[in-house]
Amino acid sequence: MNEFVETILALEWHKPKPAYDVVIIGGGGHGLATAYYLATRHGITNVAVLEANYIGSGNSGRNTTIIRANYGIPESIRFYQHSLELYGTLEDETGCWIMHSTKGLLWLAHTESAMRAERARCLLNQACGAETVMVTPEEARSICPQLDLSGGGRYPVLGASYHVGAATARHDRVVWAYAQGAMRKGVDVLQHTPVTGLLRDGERVVGVETPNGPISAGLVLSAVGGNVSTVAAMADVRLPIRTHPLQAFVTNAYALGFGPIISDTELFCYVSQTARGQMLMGAEFDPQPSYSLGSSYNFLQSCSAKVTHLLPFLRDLRILRQWTGICDISTDFSPIMGETGVPGFLVTTGWGTWGFKAIPAGGEQMAELIATGRTPAMLEPFRLDRFARELPMADQGSTGTR
Amino acid sequence: MLALETIPGVRAAADAAAIDGMVVAEGAVVLRFAPDEVFIMFPKPGRELNEGFAQAIIARETGFVGCWLTLEELAARVVAHIDWALPVERPALAQGLVAGVPAKLWLESGRALLLCAAPYAHELTERLR
Amino acid sequence: MPELDCPNCGLRPIEEFTFGGERPSVPDRITDPLERDVDYAWMHDNVNGATSERWFHAAGCRRWLTVRRNTSLTGMTPVE
Repeated sequence: MNEFVETILALEWHKPKPAYDVVIIGGGGHGLATAYYLATRHGITNVAVLEANYIGSGNSGRNTTIIRANYGIPESIRFYQHSLELYGTLEDETGCWIMHSTKGLLWLAHTESAMRAERARCLLNQACGAETVMVTPEEARSICPQLDLSGGGRYPVLGASYHVGAATARHDRVVWAYAQGAMRKGVDVLQHTPVTGLLRDGERVVGVETPNGPISAGLVLSAVGGNVSTVAAMADVRLPIRTHPLQAFVTNAYALGFGPIISDTELFCYVSQTARGQMLMGAEFDPQPSYSLGSSYNFLQSCSAKVTHLLPFLRDLRILRQWTGICDISTDFSPIMGETGVPGFLVTTGWGTWGFKAIPAGGEQMAELIATGRTPAMLEPFRLDRFARELPMADQGSTGTR
Repeated sequence: MLALETIPGVRAAADAAAIDGMVVAEGAVVLRFAPDEVFIMFPKPGRELNEGFAQAIIARETGFVGCWLTLEELAARVVAHIDWALPVERPALAQGLVAGVPAKLWLESGRALLLCAAPYAHELTERLR
Repeated sequence: MPELDCPNCGLRPIEEFTFGGERPSVPDRITDPLERDVDYAWMHDNVNGATSERWFHAAGCRRWLTVRRNTSLTGMTPVE
């Protein structure tokens, strides 16, 4: 099922040129998608994507692959719904199989206050074009027969919101699909090329420093994940971001047939079944800011215990693999995209624990901003200067973490 | 099942040095929650703190529930639900999560008092069942 | 499991504590008072290395403590 080697071999890798129109720092989903849409929608191909490690080695390869749009503020719902729709047509557009699978997502509520929050979510989602409906415990059970409606006796299910369009896709394949599409159009993807500094001409950012020498650029976009504050500091840009670790794991394989994605904001966990049959689980991010990719036994224990309350068939689960990503958590739990106030330097960041689902829309909209020089309407609410304008996009309750 | 009952007392917040110099009636149990805060259980209700302790906020506290446990009960019902090391000296106050609920343990040489805030009483007894 | 050493209560798992953030430090190069306010309210150093943070021991003594630790390392590794 892993065709990484074939895909990587099929790609034609390049040596860096001394100058590009656009240099994108970070070869994850967002960086590569931006390059792909620059090349395919705007004909801008003199572009380099610089990746410190191998492509998809950061958070793009470490998430729990969930695609959904059931957010809690109108601007976010419209943005993520657009992304969800782009994901739906991505296989046709790129010709790459990303194992996209529409599953639906049950967001369980165990208290009256959670029920109120989910009812509000449903109404707002419907008003903004995302399909989310309230379901009774019995309906939730018919969608997911494995569900214990008593929540192990401690967390009875009072109801759930059901987000019909939620999906999963294989995260590495999404990265490779965008990389391949961009490279075929002439974009250079430079792996193992860390950015060690930014070239400045007065205030303006005019390129990047790498161990292989400087590369000048008409424009530099940081699409960096957890290490974004370090890169932004090179341009004297301050970000409302803290880097927290987020852990996830997969279990041994179970018989296929676990249909939906189960999510729970009161227990802070989410679970789905991969195409291999393994149960893929994640929970809240670690409370302490950290750049360490270390994992903890405590997380495995607490996350397994929580999920077992809801899905008793997992009580004998065995853990196959565990991993950690370092997430750029923004102060208001919404992404930050666009201009930074420093000429020639843009960011797409603040993707925290919610970046994977946003890759197509984030890439498409950032490409439009770069190509036209104007912030698209969809990105306008997510500009960095919203904090100075006292217009934060607070939506912590929709992130599924904490 | 543990029977948690209201444990009445007096709560005082004051300068740490003032609490160090505090004098209480004989037989009173003094739980030092923090350098600047104590909870005092008097053998007879209604006894007040000494006069040299004026620079303090002193209030009757009925917000704690708890129960006394034998060492056997402590070992059998509670210790397995604590993820941190209990102090070795006696008497000693230990504060932290017990079965995931914020609780306090007053450890004497022959017995122990398990305390928690009244709103957590139900959850704590359920989890220690 | 990451642990924090509370001066009042001793070594405790991190889940007993609430993160209160690092001590805000607005860079000197920001001089406009309004910009300084925005930076103070929203922005973070997000240091990859030694930091000084406030943590609240919510499940124990209910006191704030200052923690100096290294964010490059796993868990709550203190700064030596």
